[in-house]
Amino acid sequence: MEAVQREHEKVWEGCRKAKTIDATQSIIDQLRKARESIASDPASAQITLVKLQAPVKAAFDDMTASLKTTRGGQNNYQKALDKLFRDKPLPSNEIDALSQQSNLINRAVYLHLLREGLFDVASTMQDEASRRATVQRDLQQSNGLDISIEDPIGMDQGLPDGMLDKFQSMHRILDELRLNHNLQPAMEWAQTNSADLQDRGSNLGFELCRLQYARILFEDSQNGFLSMSSMVKAMEYAQSAFQPFQTNYLHEIQELMGAIAFFSNLNQSPYHARLNTTVAWDEVASSFTREFCALLELSADSPLYITSTAGAIALPPLLKLQAIQKQKNASWTSANELPVETPLPSNYQFHSIFVCPVSKEQSTDQNPPMMMPCGHVICQDSLTRLAKGSKFKCPYCPSESSPTQATRIIL
Amino acid sequence: MAEATTQLKADDHLLLDQPLLRLPLELQRRTFKQSQIKIDHEQKKTTELLRNAAKTANSASPDDTIKSLDAIIQRMENLKRDLETLNEEEQSLHEQSAKRIRHLQELYEIPSLTDVKYENWARTRLDRLIVDYLLRAGYSDTAAALAESKNIQDLIDLDTFKQCHKIADSVRGGSTTEALRWVARNKDSLKKLLEKTASDKNAVVPAVTPKVSQLEFELRFQEYIEILRRHRTQDTARFEAIMHVQKHLAPHAGAFPDQYRVTAGLLAADPSDPSECYREYFSPARWTYLSDLFVDTHHQIFNLPIRPLLHVALSAGLSALKTPACHSSLNPSSAATDGHEHAKPMFAPTSSSNHIGNSLCPICSTELNELAKNVPYAHHTKSSVEEDPLMLPNGRVYGRERLEELERKNMRISGTSRDTDDERGKDDKRGRTIKDPVTGDKYPWERLKKVYIT
Repeated sequence: MEAVQREHEKVWEGCRKAKTIDATQSIIDQLRKARESIASDPASAQITLVKLQAPVKAAFDDMTASLKTTRGGQNNYQKALDKLFRDKPLPSNEIDALSQQSNLINRAVYLHLLREGLFDVASTMQDEASRRATVQRDLQQSNGLDISIEDPIGMDQGLPDGMLDKFQSMHRILDELRLNHNLQPAMEWAQTNSADLQDRGSNLGFELCRLQYARILFEDSQNGFLSMSSMVKAMEYAQSAFQPFQTNYLHEIQELMGAIAFFSNLNQSPYHARLNTTVAWDEVASSFTREFCALLELSADSPLYITSTAGAIALPPLLKLQAIQKQKNASWTSANELPVETPLPSNYQFHSIFVCPVSKEQSTDQNPPMMMPCGHVICQDSLTRLAKGSKFKCPYCPSESSPTQATRIIL
Repeated sequence: MAEATTQLKADDHLLLDQPLLRLPLELQRRTFKQSQIKIDHEQKKTTELLRNAAKTANSASPDDTIKSLDAIIQRMENLKRDLETLNEEEQSLHEQSAKRIRHLQELYEIPSLTDVKYENWARTRLDRLIVDYLLRAGYSDTAAALAESKNIQDLIDLDTFKQCHKIADSVRGGSTTEALRWVARNKDSLKKLLEKTASDKNAVVPAVTPKVSQLEFELRFQEYIEILRRHRTQDTARFEAIMHVQKHLAPHAGAFPDQYRVTAGLLAADPSDPSECYREYFSPARWTYLSDLFVDTHHQIFNLPIRPLLHVALSAGLSALKTPACHSSLNPSSAATDGHEHAKPMFAPTSSSNHIGNSLCPICSTELNELAKNVPYAHHTKSSVEEDPLMLPNGRVYGRERLEELERKNMRISGTSRDTDDERGKDDKRGRTIKDPVTGDKYPWERLKKVYIT
C-alpha cells in the first residue's frame, strides 16, 4: 500500500508540474514576438519565420518529453497497483447467487436506509423506483410485450405495516437524545413499553432516569461545585422517578443519592464514575436502539451491515476455493453447504452449531441432534446407522441404550 | 464456528476495493491519451504551417504572412485551453485517487476486526457498495443522495455510471447511434480488450480472432435488421441492406459465423411475421440484449466488475453466516416463511427468538431471510453451543448462564429478592422454576438434564 501511495504521489506531482501548458505558452509568446517584428519590418519575414522553427520544435519536444514522464509515472503507478492486487482477482460472477433477485436486494437496501434513519434517501429511492417502473412498463407495452413487472423495491414481498412509522419515531427519539440531550421522548417510549422491557429484563428505563437525574444535578454547576437549587431539584426528581425502581436497583439508587454529599468536590468522589454523563449519552442511545429493535423483532444492527462485513471477512477463503473449482468446473453456490470453513469473529455467531461427532455433519431439520440417556449427543442418521434397530453402545461412554430412548433436542 | 480470528489482514481485505483505484487510473490514462493526440496533431500541423509560411514569406504579402501567423497563434491558444481543461480534469482525478488511497490506507492502521475503527471503516465500505449497487441498477438520484448524506462523493463514480446508463438507456429505447459513437470514441480500449481476450488462455477463443468487438458487430447487425424492418418491400432498401452487410458485416464473417450465416435468410424474411428461425432477430428483446452487452463491454474496458460488488459481499456473507437453523421450522423468526411467504410475523408478539446473546441473527431478519434461501450454509467442523448446556423437558437446550440470568430477571419482576437464593446456595434448585426463553414454558429446575456436546 505504501508503494501505491508513493507512486501515486509521484504521478500527481508530475501532473502538477506538467510542462505541456507552459511550453504551449512559450510557443504562443514566440509567435507573438515574431508577428510583431514582421509587422514592424515586413522584409525580415522569412528570416524571422525560419528562425522560429527551431525554438518551436524545441518547445514541442519539451511537451513530448513531459508526456513521456507522465506516462512513465502512470505505468509505475499501475505496476504498484498490480502488485498490490496480485492474486486478488476481481471476484467474478460465480460468487453471485443473487443477480436474479434484484427486487429482494432493492428491498434490503431500502429497509437499510430506513433503519439508518436516511428517510430522505429512502423516499428518493421510492420515487426513482416507481419512475423506472413506469418507463419500463411503457417500453414493454410499446414493444407489445406483456410481462408483469415485480415491484422494484420488493414491497410486494411484504413490507411490514408501519415499519416506516416505527423507524421514523425511533430516529426522532434518537435525534432528541443525541443532538438535543432531550430524554423526554425516550422516557415516554420506555413508559409505554415498560411491560415488554421488563419482560426482556432491560435496564433502559432505569438508565434513562439516572441520566435525567445526573443532568438535573449538574445544571448550573461550576467547576464540579454543584449549585444548591439543582440539588434540591434533583432530590425532588429522584423521590418521584426512582420510586418504581426501588426494589430492583436499590443499591444503584443509594449510590446516586450519596453523590449529593460530595457536592463540593464531586470530581474526586467515588461516585463520579456513576454520574459521568459524557459517555452515558452514547450508551443510552445505543441501548435504546437495541431495545427498540428488539421489541420489533429486529436485530439491533443493520443486517445488511453485518452480512456485508461478514462477507468481506469470509471472502479470501471463498476466492481461493473458487480458483480451485474453476479448474473442475464447479461452483459453490450450487451446493447445500460451503465446502470450506469461513472463519468469522465470535460476535458473528448467532445460532448454536451442532456438528455430529460421528458423521461430522451439521444437524438439520431432517437430521436432528439426538441425545442418548447418558447425555451425549449424535445426529439421527448416525444413531440409526450405529444402532441398526437394536441396543447399542454410546460412542463416547460405556453406557448402552436403545434408539427409542434417545430424545430429539433443539439447540 | 472455526477459530475466532479477529486479526485484520488488510492485504486480504482489499478484495472488494480494487475498482476504487483502478477506475481513476483508467480515466487518467484517457485524459492523457487525449492530450497526447492533441499535441501530436498540433505539432504536425503547426510545423507544416510554419514551414509553409516561411517558404512563401517572400512572395506573399506581409498581410498574408501575418494572417497565417495569426492562424497559428489561434491554433496554439486553442491547444493551450484544451490542455488546461484536460490538466484540470487530471488533477481532480488525482485528488480523488489520493483520497481513495487514504481511505484504504486507514484499513492498514486497524489491527483487529473487533476494533471500533474497523466498524466505522466497514460502514463506509457498505455505503460505497450500496452506492455502487444503486448506480449500476440505475438509481442514480438515490445513489447521489446517499453519497451526499454520507459525504463519500470522492469514493464513488457517479459520472462514469451516469454516462454509461445514458447510452444503455438509448439502446434499450431502440437506438444504436449513441452506442456506436461510444464504440468509435473507445476504439483503442476496445482493441486492447480484444487482444487481452485473445491472449487469455482460459477464454474460449473463436476460430477466427475478431477484429471488432462483439458489441460493435451486434450493433451493426441490429442496424441491418432495422433497415430490413423499415421497408422490406422497397428495392432501394434491399440495396441499402446489402451495402450495409458488405461494409460492416461481411469483413467479420469469420469471427461471427453464426450471425453472418443468417443475414441472407433475414433478407427474405417478413419482419412483421417472421418464420420461427428468424423470430428472435426481429424481437424487441434484442434491444435489451444489446443494452446489457453494452454495459458489460463498458465495464470491461473500465476494469469494473461486471456484477455489483454488493452481490459478492452479500453472497459470501449470507453463506458465512447462514446455519441450518436459519430456515428451520423450529426457528420462530423464520418459521412463517416456509408456508406463506407474504405473511411474516414482523411485529409478532412472540417475546423472544432463537438466538445467542442479545442480537437477532441477520439471516433470520425480515430484510435478508428470503434472499438467503438459495445460498449454501456455512461449513463448520466443530460444534459451538452455549456453555454448560441444559435440556428442558420440551427438548430445547440452553446454556446454564442464560437460564440463570433469565431467572434472576424474572425474580426482579416478580419482586423476589436476589439475596434469598444466595443464602440458599447456588446448587439448591428446590422450588425454583425456569422459563424457556423461546416458548415461554415454565419448568422446575430439577427436570433439567445436563447435555454433553462433544
